[in-house]
Amino acid sequence: MANVRLHAIRKSFGTNTVIDDVSLDIASGEFVSLLGASGCGKTTLLRIVAGLESVNSGSVEIDGRVVTDLPPEQRDIAMMFQSYALLPHLSVAENVRFPLRMRRIGARQEQQDKVKAALDTVQLGHLAERRPEQLSGGQQQRVALARAIVSRPKVLLLDEPLSNLDARLREDMQVELMDIHKRLGLTTIFVTHDQEEALSLSNRIILFNGGRIEQQGTPAEIYAQPGSAFASSFLGAANLIPATIAHAPAAVAVLADGQRLALARGSTVIGPTTLALRQEDLSLGVAGGAGLQARVRARVYLGSRNRYVLQLAGMEIKVLAANDQVFADGDTVTLSIDPGRVRCLSR
Amino acid sequence: MNDRAENLLLALPGLGLLVLAYFLPIGQMLSLSLSGREGPSLEHYTRFLSDPFYLGVLWRTVRLSLVITLICALLGFPFAYIMARVGPRLRMWLVVAVILPLMTSVVVRTFGWMVLLSRNGLVSQFVRDLGWAERNFQLMHTESAIVIGMVQVLLPFMTLSILGVITRIDPRLEEAARTMGGSFLSTLRSVVLPLSLPGIVAGSLLVFTLSASSFVTPSLMGGARIQVLAGSVYKSVTQTLEWPFAAAQAVILFVGVLLVLVPYVKMNTPKHG
Amino acid sequence: MVKAIPTPVRILATVLVVLTVLVLLAPLAVVVGVSFSHSEFIAFPPQGWSLRWYQEVLGSGTYLASAVTSLKIAVLVTLAATLAGGAAAVALHRGKLPFSGLMATFFLSPLVLPTIIFAIGMLMFWSKVFGQISVLTLWLSHTVVAMPYVIRTTLAVLAESDPFLEEAAGTMGAGRLQRLWFVVLPQCIPGLGAGAFFAFNISFDEAVLSLFLRKPDMTTLPVQIYGQLEFSPDPSVAAVSAIMIAFTVLMILVIDKILGLQRFARS
Repeated sequence: MANVRLHAIRKSFGTNTVIDDVSLDIASGEFVSLLGASGCGKTTLLRIVAGLESVNSGSVEIDGRVVTDLPPEQRDIAMMFQSYALLPHLSVAENVRFPLRMRRIGARQEQQDKVKAALDTVQLGHLAERRPEQLSGGQQQRVALARAIVSRPKVLLLDEPLSNLDARLREDMQVELMDIHKRLGLTTIFVTHDQEEALSLSNRIILFNGGRIEQQGTPAEIYAQPGSAFASSFLGAANLIPATIAHAPAAVAVLADGQRLALARGSTVIGPTTLALRQEDLSLGVAGGAGLQARVRARVYLGSRNRYVLQLAGMEIKVLAANDQVFADGDTVTLSIDPGRVRCLSR
Repeated sequence: MNDRAENLLLALPGLGLLVLAYFLPIGQMLSLSLSGREGPSLEHYTRFLSDPFYLGVLWRTVRLSLVITLICALLGFPFAYIMARVGPRLRMWLVVAVILPLMTSVVVRTFGWMVLLSRNGLVSQFVRDLGWAERNFQLMHTESAIVIGMVQVLLPFMTLSILGVITRIDPRLEEAARTMGGSFLSTLRSVVLPLSLPGIVAGSLLVFTLSASSFVTPSLMGGARIQVLAGSVYKSVTQTLEWPFAAAQAVILFVGVLLVLVPYVKMNTPKHG
Repeated sequence: MVKAIPTPVRILATVLVVLTVLVLLAPLAVVVGVSFSHSEFIAFPPQGWSLRWYQEVLGSGTYLASAVTSLKIAVLVTLAATLAGGAAAVALHRGKLPFSGLMATFFLSPLVLPTIIFAIGMLMFWSKVFGQISVLTLWLSHTVVAMPYVIRTTLAVLAESDPFLEEAAGTMGAGRLQRLWFVVLPQCIPGLGAGAFFAFNISFDEAVLSLFLRKPDMTTLPVQIYGQLEFSPDPSVAAVSAIMIAFTVLMILVIDKILGLQRFARS
């Protein structure tokens, strides 16, 4: 576990400036996501921390030690590659043992114990003797993860590790990643272009745009208060509503005023949470329908759409609605939303 | 050590070998070819290029190479196409049939032809039986023998070159042409042939250079009286011991080969990194 | 496709394939046939049936001596070509050499340049600089011609390898040497293996270099055969040649086991 400090990093490939004066402090044990579109520099920054790219100027410190000019093997890191990069000629167990061998951590028996523990953590203990080509994509990804945590690196670097998985596997892996982070507390830098992923996993999100940091903050901060046109178009503005999640028996969110909102089936979150409901995901209907009941406070005409300000559960929320139905101030309306579009922010 | 240094170190043994056994020897050959009786001169080149005998040797070499290349292309293209389109098992055997001759020594192969084309050989007998020649005829020690022997040696090169290109042609292009009304043969002509051209050209360039510089087969098949350029060089080196003259001939051969190879290399340059 | 190939074309195609395969393999079949001949004259079809020529060859001092010479040189060449060629292939694959494209061309050029150029050049160069031709000279020349085969097969294998493996190994704590040993070398092995077999075969069969760079006491097997062919061959030549062919077939089988020949159907 260690902190990471990046100071005034500049990186160009030829005439193309990929990272333009980026400084960043990551606290020990923090889970930070580097979020942005393709080509914005986030992967390059990760590789700079890994030592796979040099910098034109600036410095990298890990745990107080300046590592800017050190090759990857001399930095106490571990990296998970998007394509997993498993060594094809070694078994799963030997793959996971590799960093322990290279970094000379422990005697052979101790190494094998650590390998077993790491594989158990990702639930692949039974596949230890297989070759990578015999595993499915999801299993390979887990091996890569086990290999990354087995040496308990000071910094764990993840380069879009979930982007090759299908949606369901991805969700499962997200939960596992959160779990592992909770247990091991490794300082983690996670690169992704998927904002929902960043929102679910991180303590802090660093939003990248054109080689610079556009905005940084907790998921809730970023999601609710995008600081710029770019940020808001990337993330989408939302209403944040405190609620408690119960399973009675299906997952349902109970608001402060007792109203209930159905959640997506299979959701495993429980307890107090913050719901994030996007303005454009909410639909308005006549009062008394199925959904939450709210009162119209104001309406803003936007041409093709109306923005309504509503009172719900003691809070003001905003909704973007089409022009076909118009509601007057003081009207009660029914708010509905696709349960799949309801986000629960737990951090 | 950085990346560049590491790579240079890895390439060093190979480079060293190339310098010692490739570049320096060719340099020496070049310099020897220019060494006259009183200092550097072009006398050996002039001797070669002004003597009708040697010009005849040169012309024969070029002429035969063209014929060999043409035959290889005419045989190689349909053969490669068939190889590309048959099932995997048959293709496997055809690949073996093509590679096996490549991997046997040229002396062994040429010996086989000597048996077949000599006076009592099956092929000479066949030609006589057909009435195409008289009683004592043998195919050995003729230019035809050289061509036959060389075609067998070089056909695999042509075939593999074209095969490589044809396997990359999308078979759906041929299917599309057929649905547009083209017959099998016209599709072959209008779709497959143009797309195979790079392979045919590359193969032809390679076969031409290899046949123009070939030594063992033409010498054994053609005998002492029918000389090609490489044979003349051998004679100058081992029999008449005129090394500078031999060097000049070798340089002429080398330059000719390079001229043909430059477009070949351009077509085939591997892209790395 | 319905009636993809019209029947007359099919017939023609079959005829073409049969004829071509015949042309390709006939000389080899003939050699093997003659080797079993009983008579002293070379004729095909062979007259009589006997193994006497094989016995003669295997008992002959000269054939055995030249076979041993060929074998010695082939082993040395295989070692040198595999080591130097394998290392060069790694460097070329990474593409970070100065004049990377030119380098690749130089390393692979012996594949297309006429061997006689190397032969003459080496003879003239070595005589001038080092004096007497020796096994060393032949070894070096053979290696120059064999090395590109190793480079080509190794590059083919490396081209299909995962480009991130070395980086991953670095992030796992492996230094330069360790990356080469634990990651790059295992990846190269199929290519090196096939290349080594090609190199051995090339050297063993090689005739042109060996003809120019020979000494009375240093003859390789192909040169021995060539000498016999120039003068008065008897079927013992056929027996030697048949043994060489059998050897080659063995090589092909082994290479196919390791790599699969399909890979090299594209040049």
